[in-house]
Amino acid sequence: MTLPTGSELLADDVELVRTLVDGRAGEWDLAGRLPEDVLRTLGGRGLLCTQVPRQYGGRGLSSEQTGEFTASVGALCSSLRSVMTSVGMAAWTIERFGDLGQRRRYLGELAGGRLAAVGFSEPDAGSDLAGMTTTVHDDGDHIVLSGEKVWTTAASYADLLVIVARYADGAAAVVVPSDAPGVRVTKVPDPMGCRAAGHANIRLDGVRLPAANLLGATARPVMMLVTTALAYGRMSVAWGCVGILRACLESAAAHAGTRKQFGQPLAEHQLVARHLAELYAAERTSTYACLEASRSWDSRSPDMVLAAVLAKHVSARHAAEGASAAVQVLASAGSQDGHVVARAYRDAKMMEIIEGSTEICQLLLAQHAVAAHG
Amino acid sequence: MTIESATASAVTTEAVTATIAEFLKSKTKAACAADTDLFAGGLVSSMFAMQLVVFLEGSYDIAIVGPDLRMDNFRTIGKMTELVLRLKDDSEAAGDPADGI
Repeated sequence: MTLPTGSELLADDVELVRTLVDGRAGEWDLAGRLPEDVLRTLGGRGLLCTQVPRQYGGRGLSSEQTGEFTASVGALCSSLRSVMTSVGMAAWTIERFGDLGQRRRYLGELAGGRLAAVGFSEPDAGSDLAGMTTTVHDDGDHIVLSGEKVWTTAASYADLLVIVARYADGAAAVVVPSDAPGVRVTKVPDPMGCRAAGHANIRLDGVRLPAANLLGATARPVMMLVTTALAYGRMSVAWGCVGILRACLESAAAHAGTRKQFGQPLAEHQLVARHLAELYAAERTSTYACLEASRSWDSRSPDMVLAAVLAKHVSARHAAEGASAAVQVLASAGSQDGHVVARAYRDAKMMEIIEGSTEICQLLLAQHAVAAHG
Repeated sequence: MTIESATASAVTTEAVTATIAEFLKSKTKAACAADTDLFAGGLVSSMFAMQLVVFLEGSYDIAIVGPDLRMDNFRTIGKMTELVLRLKDDSEAAGDPADGI
């Protein structure tokens, strides 16, 4: 018997997600909550952080394989995909900044189903993360963490919170069990999009933890931590947006092909056909940008850093525009909350805000353009 | 001269220094000495620092993770060269490819 190849394994996993979601994404969106058993089932199979290397008990998938899987989940439910982004980004942060013992311990836990979130944003530090004020300091063989994080995706489900905080003359990432004394996680009420992604605000009041919870036991520049962690998040969001576009294209094309007005299918009205053409172009363009970035990532090319920003920017902007066009094509048929294109419309707008807003991505791309040609 | 010794000779202080200097020059259009402080001069942004990490990992088949992933190791071409040589020694001593990325 031959072992299944990577893509065959992935096909089984995609089917598993489809069975678990079972058309309930609209219901979860309205309820603002994902069922715990869905998260635990996927987490227990290592499917919320598929790039964790095999040596730590993970799936060891490439960025490209993870991306295709992420898009397939994103097409079904952006809230579930957002949780994947968070757990995957937590794992990546631990993989990069943790020492060997921390990598073995925490990556094994995440690949085995524990859920995690990464806390960056604060009340006064959103795009300007260098202004964060959450601090961690040494206290004998312990550390003490204080501050506040806001809008942390998946935090209301997380067992572990990876918190980025000021430390000594720089910053550090700290792994905080969400049930540690002094941690208070409060769900953000009624987010506009990805409503079931478990966004939460986190209060940290003198949270005392063993020093071994501080990744890599050293201070680093805050933007080095942030840039590294976000590189993974950007890839994941970008592929998630490809999923949003695929769901919108499928829904809009099916509707326009069958619904008749003025005696012919909507798709034969030129103004509607243009929406379909642009949706198709958006889905393809975003896929190509994501593939290029993932291949750079997998071949360890330094170009991956910028390619990830480009993929995130292109895909999020296209998803926001494409979802808007899909709602336009479906009109009243897609205007009820919970419908795939109504969800996409709200979810996609959020994708232009997180993991580097459209404007922050534009600044980074402009800086690159000037450095290369200025 | 065999291919093995050609590869081995590529990971010397001089060769690594030259490779990093070439990469920096291609990206920043500035020629840097081995002891130029790249951060003080504003040559290196956090985005570019990450590019440097990925470049060194990919070029030398090493993993720069955990405590090694700190800005001081990337402050000058000389510091980066030391880091590459040390990690290369470690992975050869361990007899297996670098873990990580």
